[in-house]
Amino acid sequence: MLKDITLGQYFPGTTVVHRLDPRTKIVMVALYIAALFTANTPGGYALMAVFLGVSIAVSRIRLKAMLKGMKPLIFIVVLTSLLNLFYGTGEPIFTFWIFKITAQGIRRAIYMVLRIVMLVMGTFMLTYTTSPIMLTYGLELLMNPLKKIKVPVHELAMMMSMALRLIPTLIEETDKIMSAQKARGAQFDTGNLIEKAKAMLPILIPLFLSSFRRADELATAMEARCYHGGEGRTRLNVLTMQTRDYLTLALGILLIAAVTVLRRFGL
Amino acid sequence: MNEPIIKTEHLTHIYAPDTPFELAAVRDVNLEIRKGEILGIIGHTGSGKSTLIQHLNALQKPTSGRVLLEGQDIFASKASIRQARARVGLVFQYPEYQLFEETVYKDIAFGPKNMSLTGEEIDRRVREAAGFVGLEEEILERSPFDLSGGQKRRVAIAGVIAMMPEVLVLDEPMAGLDPAGRESIMENILSYHDKTGAAIVIVTHSMEEAARHADRMVVLNHGSVAMDGAPEQIFSRGPELRRMGLDTPVMTDVAERLAGLGVRLPGTVYTVEQMVDALMQLERGLGRA
Repeated sequence: MLKDITLGQYFPGTTVVHRLDPRTKIVMVALYIAALFTANTPGGYALMAVFLGVSIAVSRIRLKAMLKGMKPLIFIVVLTSLLNLFYGTGEPIFTFWIFKITAQGIRRAIYMVLRIVMLVMGTFMLTYTTSPIMLTYGLELLMNPLKKIKVPVHELAMMMSMALRLIPTLIEETDKIMSAQKARGAQFDTGNLIEKAKAMLPILIPLFLSSFRRADELATAMEARCYHGGEGRTRLNVLTMQTRDYLTLALGILLIAAVTVLRRFGL
Repeated sequence: MNEPIIKTEHLTHIYAPDTPFELAAVRDVNLEIRKGEILGIIGHTGSGKSTLIQHLNALQKPTSGRVLLEGQDIFASKASIRQARARVGLVFQYPEYQLFEETVYKDIAFGPKNMSLTGEEIDRRVREAAGFVGLEEEILERSPFDLSGGQKRRVAIAGVIAMMPEVLVLDEPMAGLDPAGRESIMENILSYHDKTGAAIVIVTHSMEEAARHADRMVVLNHGSVAMDGAPEQIFSRGPELRRMGLDTPVMTDVAERLAGLGVRLPGTVYTVEQMVDALMQLERGLGRA
């Protein structure tokens, strides 16, 4: 059951989007978000939707996977759209008890839903098409200038990639321990809150113990292979920006410009 | 031949269906486990052994097919699932990593407690289970985390035995132990079998172990049953086993090599005792000639 989590999962592939430099993709997501929050006209949103649709099509990510990842967000989307719906000002179209709905409210609600959905889908594009290792490598390179002000960039990136690497292992381990305790008759879905919390102990204690053991073993294994921090460390696959990366970034800037123009003219 | 206690019908399990990671771990398996038998399930890594056995006590739900415990579908209701968990005991691989209680006693008592037995009955079962795996009285009050690896393994196995299952399923129970530890754990399991008449299912990729103790063996390959029969039937198909990435017992290899040299031994040989018998027979035959 825990294996079904798709949020932030990587779907291997060989499309152009998959092959883009992770740095490009991270910056592109930032540009995309900036453009998305600049847009406030029908034309602007349409342009963003077209851009997102084309990227999804090119990356060959199945729409089903996208929608599955959206599921946990349905509540937030519905809540914010309702709030926006009732907080519009101006001439009410429809009144009911203390609620009144205005044209502005409706427009805002629609924009808000579009914004959240496209924001999440856009960031999914990054995590669905980039392996965690590439993602952390990209982040490390982007944060490199911070080394000048003594930010331990390499260490942070290493910690992040190890944490990411251990997530599936921990999930697997949790599954295994849960099964083992279930085999001994443990039940996790009955009783009141306190009973449920108590029922978690037989999982949490072995899980903690094995995490510490794993961390210890990993540290020893790294030292045994002469790991001593980032200094002088080289990479097997060094990333270099390709023409397609520059083109993508140019497209991102163009997108912001286009949305700004559309906003200016109220289209 | 005893009647079956567990039967699987066209059991199929597919992991992560409809994703790029889709994997059929178990395919159309029809398996019978008979009362009181010792069954060895062998197969190389990833052949679906572990997935298969997790269906036997309803931990995994089949994608299609059924699991019957004495004719009853174990997934029929919540009560039948609970019953399956109590009647079919499952010891996972490296079970020592599931220990969590303050004392060995409390940890072994976890299973019986979940079966809502009386305090007296729980106490009796804990002591009995500890006896089966050779844990001394004074260890019961110690923390399980202070014990050695082999002892932890015993505590974990006792935790399942304390539920007094009619079928005891063990996934690689001897993995990672030294030869002495392997031997004594095996003896503990056999003593539970002898005294209670429970059926034992041992999952392993070690042919030697399966050969020595099993009444019957099932060979899994890519999630399907490739062979099912008595050890001598299985080991008479040495080349096929090796093609599946499995070993054959050393004595079977020796017998095959002797055959290559023109020395035909009578019958199928897979233990040292059988080898001795076969050689003696051969010698007597030569003496007569």
